[in-house]
Amino acid sequence: MSAAAAAPALAGRPGRGVGHALELRGLSKRYGSFTAVDAVSLGIERGQFLTLLGPSGSGKTTILMAIAGFVAPSEGAVLLDGRDITALPPERRDFGMVFQGYALFPHMTVAENVAFPLRVRRLSRAEREAKVRAALDLVQLDRFAERRPAQLSGGQQQRVALARALVFDPDLLLLDEPLSALDKKLRAELQDELKALHRRVGRTFVNVTHDQEEALSLSDQVAILNHGRLVQMGAPEALYERPRTRFVADFLGTSNFLRGQVEAAGGGEMQLRAGETRLRQAGGDLPPGATALLSLRPEKIALLGAGEAAANQVTGSIAAWAYLGAGFSLTVRTSDLGALRVALPAWRAPIAPSEGLPVRLGWAADAAVPVLEDGDAA
Amino acid sequence: MTGGHPAGPLARLLAWGTVLYLLLPITIVIPVSLTDRRYLSLPEEGLSLQHYARLFGSEAWLSAIGQSLWIALGATAVAVAAGTLCAIGCWRIGRRSSELVRVLMLLPLIIPGIVYAIGLYRWFGWLDLLDRVLGVTLAHGVTGIPYVVITVSTALAAFDPRLEQAARGMGASLGQTLRWVILPRIAPGIASGAIFAFIHSWDELVLVLFIASRRVLTLPRKIWDGINENLDPTMAAVAVLLILFTILLLALDGMLRARSGR
Repeated sequence: MSAAAAAPALAGRPGRGVGHALELRGLSKRYGSFTAVDAVSLGIERGQFLTLLGPSGSGKTTILMAIAGFVAPSEGAVLLDGRDITALPPERRDFGMVFQGYALFPHMTVAENVAFPLRVRRLSRAEREAKVRAALDLVQLDRFAERRPAQLSGGQQQRVALARALVFDPDLLLLDEPLSALDKKLRAELQDELKALHRRVGRTFVNVTHDQEEALSLSDQVAILNHGRLVQMGAPEALYERPRTRFVADFLGTSNFLRGQVEAAGGGEMQLRAGETRLRQAGGDLPPGATALLSLRPEKIALLGAGEAAANQVTGSIAAWAYLGAGFSLTVRTSDLGALRVALPAWRAPIAPSEGLPVRLGWAADAAVPVLEDGDAA
Repeated sequence: MTGGHPAGPLARLLAWGTVLYLLLPITIVIPVSLTDRRYLSLPEEGLSLQHYARLFGSEAWLSAIGQSLWIALGATAVAVAAGTLCAIGCWRIGRRSSELVRVLMLLPLIIPGIVYAIGLYRWFGWLDLLDRVLGVTLAHGVTGIPYVVITVSTALAAFDPRLEQAARGMGASLGQTLRWVILPRIAPGIASGAIFAFIHSWDELVLVLFIASRRVLTLPRKIWDGINENLDPTMAAVAVLLILFTILLLALDGMLRARSGR
């Protein structure tokens, strides 16, 4: 993921592909004895949508501010197309940015807000007007040009902030929790819009969020951060299907964690033992005697009917259940594996859940993924 | 305030007493300025505007008004420029040390005027600024700084620092950010500070008594001399005009605040 590999990445991607490649090299930021960002290295290819995802205090916003130039890193470098820009002040970086809360200028109209970066760059009035109109068209706000920000709804303000950040054709668009101030329905709507906008303008976007759904649905690449460190980076489906650590599995979606002793390994499979239960697990290369930690998604566990079999089987009884419309969420108590969360499609569910009902659960050998304990991940 | 207790008779009495105490000395000059006598007194047989006529016909009074006006305008310019820059600087640095600077800037307000005047007298003697318009303008300008620092700092406290970040992130230089983003947001605070700095210079007497004698004769100084030398009712007319002018300025300030509050 070096800057040099950036150019061919455009192949097969829609959009104009005029973005720039960004690389962070060993980026650290310390405030006194507190380390906000700890030696983070990552790269994002031209035209891609990267999301920095993590809980609050994970250092994601500090990283974004270092990319923008508002935070000077204690160590490490920020590179744009291979050029070191660490020392460049924010006003000379040519990055568009959508701030948390949007930071629209309240004393200017929507059009004046969007024209601001152009005015700074001393464009002629005619050029300015044409670009502002195009930018407002892009976010479908052309009718609101003469309004003040205070007269707009949250979603409209967010779109003005986007237009303002994109109007000067920035090298990179930075988004700091752009959707967090909006209600759930509007957020979903703007998520789709943001994704479509990214396709249309084809620029490199770097987004910061703590919302895993937003990260999964928007991004080409997601970087998961915890305690200032990069835990894992990859495409959304790769992160969801093959989490490297317990934290990633837990933070992206929900997961059951199974712990077992390795009894034998070979032929691409491990035999595990948890109490009286034997488990077959694909992949993993732990030696016999080691303890394995598996992440098993609730939707990959099936309810076995009479006579049905699976690579892994366990019996238990329903301890709690909830109806969620699209499905049931069951908590099944087992003797050897503890409580397991099971997601069951509600339509034509094989059983009518009730507390205490005995059930048999099964999953394939490749349904679960071996993960590292967070302490071992570093 | 609507949910509070209604005021008792004692509280009412106290409140009205205070109001009268504040207003009576001011209002007494109004009838005095309309006296039909040739000395400082209340009107006896009728009201007369002769003293107002004398005021506007008098070279000496008009020149004092003019001089006060120019000095006040100059002092306001000095105070606004220095006070605004100081407040913005302290706000941007935002450290402990800037807190110290802010307190230092308030010194002219805290130190008794007469102490300040004695010090200034020595300094201006060395700098050859005694009894000169420039000297009085500088003295009034410097002592007007606290008013501007206070009002501009208050305006800046309400300023969202992300707006500055946003401006810089979009490529604006410090100058452009200042001109297009920060100053328009804090303009009401600056105007308010300017009005107070102007009023401060307009009615300042103690400093003038020390650092000016004959060549610089401001309006308060002329009134002071008038009281000491003769009891000309023209002074009452001047006082009434001064009061009206000040009320006008305060009303302007109130209007600006009401507008920015919207």
